[in-house]
Amino acid sequence: MMKKLSVGKIIDATWTYALLLIVAFIFFFPCLWIVLASFSKSGSIYSFDGFFPKSYSVATFKKLFTDTTMYNYPRWFLNTLFVAVGSCLLGTFLTILTAYTMSRFEFRARKTMMKTTMILGMFPSFMGMTAVYILMTQFGLINQLWGLILIYAAGAPMGYLTQKGFFDTIPKAIDEAAKIDGANSAQIFWKINLPLSKPIIVYTALTSFTWPWSDFILPKLLLKEKDLYTVAVGLMSLDETEFARFAAGSVFIAVPIVILYFALVKNMVDGIAEGAVKG
Amino acid sequence: MRKFLDSSWRVKLSALIMGSGQLMYGCVAKGIIYILIEIGFIAYMVIRGFSDIVGFFTLGTTKADAWLGTVGDNSVVMLLMGIFAWIVVAAFIYLYVLNIKSACDIEERVSTGRAPKSFIDELKELLDRKFYITVLVLPVVGVCIFNILPIIFMILISFTNYGGSIVPPELVDWVGIDNFKKILTLSKFAPTFARILGWNILWAVVSTALNYFAGLGLALLLNKDCVKGKAFFRAFPVLAYAIPGFITLLAFKFMFSYGGPINQMIKATGTAPIGFLDLDAKWMARLIGILVNCWISVPSIMLLATGHLSNRDMSLYEAARIDGATPFQQFRKLTMPFMLFATTPVLLGQFIGNFNNFGIFYFLRGGLYMDGYFLASDTDLLINWLYNLSIDNNYYCIGAAISLIIFIITSAISLAVYVKSPSYREEDTFQ
Repeated sequence: MMKKLSVGKIIDATWTYALLLIVAFIFFFPCLWIVLASFSKSGSIYSFDGFFPKSYSVATFKKLFTDTTMYNYPRWFLNTLFVAVGSCLLGTFLTILTAYTMSRFEFRARKTMMKTTMILGMFPSFMGMTAVYILMTQFGLINQLWGLILIYAAGAPMGYLTQKGFFDTIPKAIDEAAKIDGANSAQIFWKINLPLSKPIIVYTALTSFTWPWSDFILPKLLLKEKDLYTVAVGLMSLDETEFARFAAGSVFIAVPIVILYFALVKNMVDGIAEGAVKG
Repeated sequence: MRKFLDSSWRVKLSALIMGSGQLMYGCVAKGIIYILIEIGFIAYMVIRGFSDIVGFFTLGTTKADAWLGTVGDNSVVMLLMGIFAWIVVAAFIYLYVLNIKSACDIEERVSTGRAPKSFIDELKELLDRKFYITVLVLPVVGVCIFNILPIIFMILISFTNYGGSIVPPELVDWVGIDNFKKILTLSKFAPTFARILGWNILWAVVSTALNYFAGLGLALLLNKDCVKGKAFFRAFPVLAYAIPGFITLLAFKFMFSYGGPINQMIKATGTAPIGFLDLDAKWMARLIGILVNCWISVPSIMLLATGHLSNRDMSLYEAARIDGATPFQQFRKLTMPFMLFATTPVLLGQFIGNFNNFGIFYFLRGGLYMDGYFLASDTDLLINWLYNLSIDNNYYCIGAAISLIIFIITSAISLAVYVKSPSYREEDTFQ
């Protein structure tokens, strides 16, 4: 059955699609530009013909992984991976547990803690950097990838609010039932609530993975040796003549994240929606 | 307190020797733990605690002298260790009170004829009724060391003269509120501060509003019934969202640079290239910053808004349509109030995030110092200035004072907005 389309509807649909296409172009074009640039034959941005390289090859990618004397990209990549995976595991664990207890337990310090984290969140993010730097020197954690993981993971539970919102939506009646059956709080968490909270775990893991993956302030401050650089710090040290190498390095580090996001975008939207206040 | 005064000598003894009361009532494990805590604390205080606390006030008395071979005091480390010693003392006082409370409890149980709780039972409680203690110990310790300690340190630094030529081995001193006076009055800092603050507020308001409405608009656009292939169109913003921010920013910097594609196209038409991000490109650079920030932030707001839009009560819209409301009226009277209600905290977070948006101008124009500005450029936000001052140029105390000012501004604004917002006042109704 075909509904008859009125003129108004056609106009409406036309401008909607036109607008969507423009938006799509705005978001897509810079990405396309970088991807094409990474396949350019000559590395410098000056040899480009407008937006696009004159000739294409995969030489830059080869160079990226083999020519490591000046810019040791494979090394940077492994460093980044190590830091990101480490902080992701530790940070997700701590955040989920914190959010869960904040949602389920009533204890005296609860409100104080919630207010404190809110106030702490308002301090400029690297206000304490100088202090962190001195602290890390005292602990002997300068030039240690472990030091970075420690800082990222320790800061992760501060952003527990979305996760708390999610746990608030899991009915407490389930807990009560389990308690009557003789389960203690630890068991209720591990066996009942954790399996129910897959979307929010995915969301947390993703956010606590991407943050160290793309952060540059902390690594720049704490990692002084070129071999210990993360990709973000390493790519920052490239200039316009190394544009293709920058583009290739960027593509290589962006692709895993992009794939992860696309695989999990549904989870994320659900996680946000469920963690949010319902109207 | 009353309980303690009325208690027997056993409890009072544990006020002197922690854990002794517990031991006498037969709680061996608990008693030993408390005794060890006290011994450990005394040992810490004797070995370095006392001198750390003294050091906190003096910030060092002997200067290093290479000729005489004296190892001087490092004021900064002394300050940090002094704060740490205060935290240890506070933790000890807490445990001390806990110790007396538990001794009183045990006595009460015994005097009413019950056996004191066994150690095993108390451990089991940590997995059950008091599970939250077990779980929160690690996060709280982590946050204390890596977030609270540094922040306290920087707050205190803003009241010292640390920085410039006064860095260890020179001795640092407390100077009261001199740094704040300097920022507000000294001709070196005051004009820069005023200019940057003005631009910073403008930037935060404009970019937050722009990002929010663009993101919301995009979500509504994708949500329209006539749009087929929503997933396809949504993929582009998600792509932008997924790319790490520093890559986007560096890419845009290359795009607007002299050799970049935009200038090449301009050159191809025979005109001189434009220095989009150059020294004299004040408003051009600011505009580019706002647009680039839009490119980065809109997708996340769109995703968020999509999530919230699916929570709307659609029957309201049905009713509005029957009553003859236009789409714009529906947006203004139904969508906006709901979205504002649901996203006030996020909006606030966005505002603070934008106010302190370090990356944008650090990458687009980083490291420019201009005339009329002290170690800053006309696109720099307070946070960039803070970075230039404290990390690149060692003006630690001024930097710390500025971060305190940033904190006061952002927290005042957010408190005012947050307390008035419905999502705060009715927090518990939706749980």
